[in-house]
Amino acid sequence: MMSLVCEEATHLRADEPRHENSVRVLVPQTLVQTQRILLRWARDPTTALLALVLPICFLVTLNVVLGQQISQITGHSALYGTVPMNALAAAIHGSATGAIGLIGERTDGLLSRLWVLPVHRASGALSRIIAEVVRIVVTTLVILGVGVLLGFRFERGVLASLAWLVVPVIFGLAWASLITTVALYSAKTFLLEAVTLVHVLAVVFSTGFLPVDQYPRWIQPVVAHQPMSYAIETMRGLSVGGPVQSPMIATLLWAIGIAAACAMPMVFGYRRASMR
Amino acid sequence: MSNSDKAVVVDRIRKTFGEVVALDDISFDIGRGEVIGLLGPNGAGKTTIVDILSTLSRPDRGRATVAGYDVVSEPAGVRRSIMLTGQHTAIDDMLTGYENLVMFGRLFGLSKSAARARASELIGEFDLVDAGNRRVGTYSGGMRRRIDIACGLVVQPQVAFLDEPTTGLDPRSRQGIWDLVARFKSAGIATLLTTQYLEEADELSDRIIVIDHGSVIAEGTADELKARTGGSFCEIVPRHLKDLPAIAAALGSLLPEKNRAALTSESERIALPAPRGANTLVETVWRLAAANIEVADVGLRRPSLDDVFLALTEDSSASRAPVTEVMQ
Amino acid sequence: MTAATPARSRPSTFAQWWVLTVRFIIPTLRNGELALTIASSVVFTAGLYIPLSHVMGTATKGVSSSYAQYIMPLIALQAVTFAAMSTAFRAATDSLQGLNRRFRSMPMAPLTPVAARISAAVYRCSVALAVALICGHVIGFRFYRGAEYITGFCVLVIVVGAVMSFGADLVGTGSRNPEAMTPLFILPPLIFGLLSVGVQPVRQFPHWIQPIVRNQPISQFVDAMRVLGGDTTPAAGAVTWSVMMPTLAWLSGLAVVLVPVSAIVLSKRQ
Repeated sequence: MMSLVCEEATHLRADEPRHENSVRVLVPQTLVQTQRILLRWARDPTTALLALVLPICFLVTLNVVLGQQISQITGHSALYGTVPMNALAAAIHGSATGAIGLIGERTDGLLSRLWVLPVHRASGALSRIIAEVVRIVVTTLVILGVGVLLGFRFERGVLASLAWLVVPVIFGLAWASLITTVALYSAKTFLLEAVTLVHVLAVVFSTGFLPVDQYPRWIQPVVAHQPMSYAIETMRGLSVGGPVQSPMIATLLWAIGIAAACAMPMVFGYRRASMR
Repeated sequence: MSNSDKAVVVDRIRKTFGEVVALDDISFDIGRGEVIGLLGPNGAGKTTIVDILSTLSRPDRGRATVAGYDVVSEPAGVRRSIMLTGQHTAIDDMLTGYENLVMFGRLFGLSKSAARARASELIGEFDLVDAGNRRVGTYSGGMRRRIDIACGLVVQPQVAFLDEPTTGLDPRSRQGIWDLVARFKSAGIATLLTTQYLEEADELSDRIIVIDHGSVIAEGTADELKARTGGSFCEIVPRHLKDLPAIAAALGSLLPEKNRAALTSESERIALPAPRGANTLVETVWRLAAANIEVADVGLRRPSLDDVFLALTEDSSASRAPVTEVMQ
Repeated sequence: MTAATPARSRPSTFAQWWVLTVRFIIPTLRNGELALTIASSVVFTAGLYIPLSHVMGTATKGVSSSYAQYIMPLIALQAVTFAAMSTAFRAATDSLQGLNRRFRSMPMAPLTPVAARISAAVYRCSVALAVALICGHVIGFRFYRGAEYITGFCVLVIVVGAVMSFGADLVGTGSRNPEAMTPLFILPPLIFGLLSVGVQPVRQFPHWIQPIVRNQPISQFVDAMRVLGGDTTPAAGAVTWSVMMPTLAWLSGLAVVLVPVSAIVLSKRQ
């Protein structure tokens, strides 16, 4: 005969019911959901592989095509610009994949199912954010590895190197919040293609692609002030030398700005995607 | 504060989507251990009710409580007490059956070890031992449904919402779900079962609620509803169609005027009400024999829930015409 | 009881193809895909021309009258490739939803859905090309040969797009995983494009990679397109068979390979 009664659970529910949204349960519940998402990604090796192999190829390509010219102009290896740029670009593209998965789960009804569970209301969204952080760290480390093979070296000490690793996370999270917000309000194909186009623009008009003064004068301000350039410059400063503080502040301002602008629409959109 | 003897109370709920009125001041209740069949065509509002009761949606007006918790002001309590399974199974395809169960267990508040133990238990109960470590994406339809329901049972719910749970399943799997509902009943779980399958509602429910266009058009046990369409009737199928008028004449007073009037040149059979059940049948046969008319078939029929349903939804749409002949 | 079903004529393949093609095209007019196609051409023009015009300007002085003239073929190819790649995504989504399986059980030639998707991609490529040419005009690209060469230029680009979308369609159908398609959209074409004579002459590349750059199909396509487009400098060659041959060989070779591969992919149980 089936045991429909689970002893431990009945005992648990004797607890005061009003604490679904208590902080005490937020952490374990978020971790369980994060684990689910990471398992999902890990089980899809093609996507993961492509998401890494291609930025690596792009990194190599850029160095092949432009490496010589850039190092002649700037005095140091082009890698200090292209490695950060590819780490950031991989973070962007990874979040597009994640957002598409989110839309898929909404269609399947899995989001609704999870919403109806007695879990903290924020645990779902929070678990996605944490999974994203993990992903960004992994892709950054892999690209860094390839960069090191090509000649990238940290020359500013341990603290600066750790800070270097944090920048893609900040940038990636801000970017992911933007993509997720768009994903929650639009269709799959549109999202993917729009993100790709913005990705191309961000990459070719950044200081990781070419030094600022190589661009036509009229576009130099745009190139210099866009968020990706600031992030790259911060990382450049943290690895080989150069200003750190001002690009870092600018990066943070961009990141916080984007995240803040997206926060409310994203929370709202997630709720709307889970409910009906 | 809460109606303690009813598991679910729905009180004049109204829900509109733009111009469409999905639920129109609908009210009903479900007692503990009761199985309610919610019957209605597509678009009747069945899924909307389930959405509201499971906190996925909010009513525009009216109140509802589930397990004593108000769905609008105490959704957390509701979520702790229910189990929801829908037409589209909502399980993570990329995880194995076992991992899904553990995840849901943990999210329901079980400790890691308890969740694992419970998962193994449920895998055994639901006959998924061989498939437990395979990804759910590889499961067949019946297996998916089983794991979907299992995930809702990691912790005992007080109320179960089964939204068309056997749609698309083979007969064996369907029987399995039916057995499950019976066990819910004996465990004291209140079940709201929405279905399009009339035999399912007939078989499983203690009470049936028929809804159409967002309102309750009938409520009662299966037998009560069947009686509403006039009860049993005798049906005569002549061997030769040209004998129909002769049969009608032979039946005399047994055949009410309106049935007689309903006969057309297209009719293939005659139905007459059987207020005395089998005795009416005997009388019918006797009269037919006396008139020496050959018949292909004569029998006592009870209306099926099909007839009930058609009759009720016919009633609720335009005409108020009484249902006479429902077999054609 | 039952009304007599109207007599059905055998569905013509052409009609089926047309219906499916329209099915793919009509939604794009509403869901922003058209806007994205236009945007993509602009993005590629701006993104390839503006940053590189300064750096590469000197290297291409002898070869082209302007960097715009030099890079235009690559811009056109990138824009068209982007349009073609979306076919892969759509194919994967259709495959995932079981639509391909459904189509296969209907009285329809197996290649019809594929042909329809490719036709929709060709429509998209044409829009992309048209916008790219407009943008090209803005940055200074000009056609220097007669109308038949302009037509040849356009036809070549569209054919490349069609072949690419055919290949992309097969990859998408076989994979059933739209999420896996996302990285393929932009980087591979960009990588191939950057490692070609589209951005700079062969001699500017490191020695070890020059053979690859010289012989890869994108370079061949770009060379052919440059010759068809013409130029004012003496380095612009004449349109001869020896110049066009590699391109035509690549295209026909790819097409020939893709047909049997498609038969295999389409017949696999999905």
